[in-house]
Amino acid sequence: MTRMYHLMPVEAYTSQDWFDREQELIFSRTWRYAGFVEDIPEPGHYISVQAGLNNIFIVMGRDHRLRAFHNICRHRGTQLIRAVGKTQKALTCPYHDWTYDLEGNLVSVPDEEREYPNGIDKSCLGLKPAAVDVWRGMLFVHPDPNPPSLAAWFGEVDPHLGPHKPEELVEYPEARSSYEIKANWKIVVENYIDVYHLSHLHSNTLYMYDHAKAKYGWSGPHYHFWEPPTEEYGANLEKNLPSPRVIPEPHVGAWVPMLFPGIGLGASEESWNVFIITPLGPNLTRIENRSKVANVSGWEYQKQEWSSWGFWKDFGGPKYEGDDVASEDDPMASGDFTAEDIYACEQQQKSLASPFLEIGPAATGESPITNHQRAILEFMKDHEK
Amino acid sequence: MPQSFHPLTVADIRSEIDGSATSITFSVPPHLASEFTWRPGQHLSLKLQVNGEEQRRSYTISNPPGAPLRITVKRVKKGCVSNFVADTLKVGDQLEVMAPKGRFVLDPQALGHRTHYFFAAGSGITPIFSMVNAVLADEPYAVAHLVYGNVEAGDILFEAELTELLERYGDRLTVRHVLSAPSMWSWFTPWRKGRVDAEAIQAAITETPPVAQDVHYWICGPGSMNQDVRQALNGLDVPNSRIHSESFGGEGAQDTSVSGVASQVTVKLLGQTQTVAVAAGQTLLEAMRASGLRPPFSCQSGVCGACIARTSQGKVHMRSRVALEDGDISKGYVLTCQSVPTAEKMTLTFEA
Ligand code: FES
Ligand code: FES
Ligand SMILES: [Fe+2]
Repeated sequence: MTRMYHLMPVEAYTSQDWFDREQELIFSRTWRYAGFVEDIPEPGHYISVQAGLNNIFIVMGRDHRLRAFHNICRHRGTQLIRAVGKTQKALTCPYHDWTYDLEGNLVSVPDEEREYPNGIDKSCLGLKPAAVDVWRGMLFVHPDPNPPSLAAWFGEVDPHLGPHKPEELVEYPEARSSYEIKANWKIVVENYIDVYHLSHLHSNTLYMYDHAKAKYGWSGPHYHFWEPPTEEYGANLEKNLPSPRVIPEPHVGAWVPMLFPGIGLGASEESWNVFIITPLGPNLTRIENRSKVANVSGWEYQKQEWSSWGFWKDFGGPKYEGDDVASEDDPMASGDFTAEDIYACEQQQKSLASPFLEIGPAATGESPITNHQRAILEFMKDHEK
Repeated sequence: MPQSFHPLTVADIRSEIDGSATSITFSVPPHLASEFTWRPGQHLSLKLQVNGEEQRRSYTISNPPGAPLRITVKRVKKGCVSNFVADTLKVGDQLEVMAPKGRFVLDPQALGHRTHYFFAAGSGITPIFSMVNAVLADEPYAVAHLVYGNVEAGDILFEAELTELLERYGDRLTVRHVLSAPSMWSWFTPWRKGRVDAEAIQAAITETPPVAQDVHYWICGPGSMNQDVRQALNGLDVPNSRIHSESFGGEGAQDTSVSGVASQVTVKLLGQTQTVAVAAGQTLLEAMRASGLRPPFSCQSGVCGACIARTSQGKVHMRSRVALEDGDISKGYVLTCQSVPTAEKMTLTFEA
């Protein structure tokens, strides 16, 4: 008998086969986050990103237009470019120096007459095009050059995401981080959208927002979530915000959606964050965090820090204290909610292989988890021919 | 498809830029409504009697689809039709009008996240104005950047309408005026002096770069402007597939500088092949009709595209070519009503 984890077999969280199918049917068929618009600031700049089975790069041409191509040399398939960089007018493959212009046309083949005495038709050996588009200041790529529109893909969930305009904010570079979690990507998503755990795992960390008043739901495969400030925090919100506002009053609260697949956002009155989940293996997942804040002077930050000091000085604390603390670097004693989440995910993954595992019933605040499973199953079914 | 003229009543006449142009709005009776729908960028052909002579002309529709059917006619010195329209035509008059035609069209995409650059000069603004309106109204995720060249501020068509659009759609529209000879006494400060040339194009694109990948460039102006703008864009690596252009014809824009030569033309029409002798100065259409052939045609002013054929041998000079996109021309398509042969032997095929 297949052991089940709510709607999915437990195997979906541990097996290479499921991982491979998800790579093919989900991550190679959807719009993939590739970075911020400002990552490609000028003509000639490029970045590449892994989108499921595809490696795709985006480059800006001299007309300032973005183009996306599959990062595959048409000769023998070598990856053309590295992660980020800048070129003038052409991209040259390191292997045999085949060279492409920024439109993807193959423009030169070294020693052409000698190596191809019968001729070679360069015109049908251009790079394979992919698609790139922009939404809320973020770059997205799609392996299909004529994909369903990005505006339509996020159109329905967009109104639930708060009034932020990330393209007008500036990145806070210290908040940029990337790390691996030893758990399946779905475990990480489920942790992100688990409303039940907020007041428990994070009892001493995220309590400036009122989890009991959270509003959440689904637009197609995308999850949206919003919760207001607690009475205590909200009573003097403008004073208590740790840094200057990024959205106009009277908007308040925290918007924490999880867009499909694995594109987490976290936005509040004073910041806008991305939490990008990339599956690396059945038991391994990469997270990339980036953060944007108000584009105002250091002085504004200073003033806000002073005014909010009274609220934050006694705020927060570790979940475990005293004898419960296992060691000096126990995440449960860190007072850092990310460390708490990583810990919970890895501890859960460890049990998935046990034959004695039996998942208990889903709580109300866990309905997003079963919904996410349903979204995955449906998406995979729709894309299987 | 037979092309026929329908009588339409003039509902409104408005003089633009101190009488230098005239906008005419037609009322379309309900039974013609479906025939008189149009796509942004298309033209209208008129047949009118001026001083007892029949004249045919085509003008761009200057309103977006859904709005009243309107054309804007620039007054041309000694132009019999444009002056008639400005001075004699009255509200309530009837004109013979053919359904909208033209291949230079922008079809809005409701979900398209596109960036459109529009380059217009002089009355080339008429189809562009209609396209800009369509983008703003029906492509909510798209942005539009207009670069508009004129001689001086007094020549700017639709200035008030453009200002209104800017107020309403300021976050999705930019308008840049380029004046080649701005008057010293004008309060109007153009974005740049000079022409819509490579430098101006580069500057516009750098100041307001495209949003993402899906970018289109629309050009409409007189003379060599289209070629110049296209070259400038090509210089920035813009592929031709993204450039859409139309030479602005209309009254007075006929290029009759080349008179053509006498030619023997092999005509393939409806499965028949026949040789037609074309006299110097005669158009292909005139010669074919004179020798008893019945090739398709309609507006006879180079606008509707009904008379299109493809040349496989020999060259022609086209007096006007509004109905053709530049891409068609490179494939050998010609408007027979506008073409005089420039080679002594030619082959012409009607494909449809
Ligand atoms: S594999 Fe790229 S040039 Fe040979
Ligand atoms: S007859 Fe209309 S274009 Fe020639
Ligand atoms: Fe959490």
